[in-house]
Amino acid sequence: MKVTSLLELHDLDLQLAEARHPATVAKLKKLGFEPSDPAPLERVRARLLAGVERRWVQHYVRALQRYGRGVVGMRERVCQGCFVTLPTSASPRVGESLTLCQSCGRILYWR
Amino acid sequence: MTTVAVHSVPDSSLFLPDLKLKRKESVLHEMVCAAQRVRVVRDAELLHETLLRRERWCPSAIGKGVAVPNARSLGVLEPRLILARAPRGVDWGASDGAAVHLVLLVLSPSEVGVEPHLERVMRAVAITRSQRNRQKLLEAADAGTVALLLRELAP
Repeated sequence: MKVTSLLELHDLDLQLAEARHPATVAKLKKLGFEPSDPAPLERVRARLLAGVERRWVQHYVRALQRYGRGVVGMRERVCQGCFVTLPTSASPRVGESLTLCQSCGRILYWR
Repeated sequence: MTTVAVHSVPDSSLFLPDLKLKRKESVLHEMVCAAQRVRVVRDAELLHETLLRRERWCPSAIGKGVAVPNARSLGVLEPRLILARAPRGVDWGASDGAAVHLVLLVLSPSEVGVEPHLERVMRAVAITRSQRNRQKLLEAADAGTVALLLRELAP
């Protein structure tokens, strides 16, 4: 599965949230930046989404709708979304870097 | 984390005083790799891609030889400011046509909200507004001096 696509999708969604929010765009312009139309970002999003395994898409979309963020990092076995400490058995298998948080359902990035 | 800590350059590895690279993509890559070496970044490839994508949507050159690239990303572990100088100038596509000599990279973990992140970007931009401050940063002898300047200049 293309882990990179899911992580890029997550970062892109953070950018899109800014691009779609008129007050944020206005703030960026005030700082001297020149944000452009977000339409190309939407196209990139569609391409990235197509590269993510379907089951992860479902988890991602569900968590995104519920919490505003589909993937969160793990730090010392603590989910950075709900801050619950997960048991060692929740660690990903060798060679993998994603699991689901057993507490909140967000996708966890273990790197 | 305090404002001072966020805006200081905590060690010499996050101050790149003499970049000789000519392309902004290479400059960003170098800065991201420097941050990864001190464990501020956990996924350099992801962060670099995110920064480039942001550049395409919202170019970070703000004129007068300054660029303030920034990102919230899963690839970032700690909020940090990384400062690089490019004495020869980098073509960053600024609207005033000026080559960029000063790059302030503002990084935030993805858990940080957009408002706190933009607040940090705003402070970085504010520092470089005046010619006097830009000159001080361009002439600072070492990372310690830059850290002191950033503390002193931060609004």
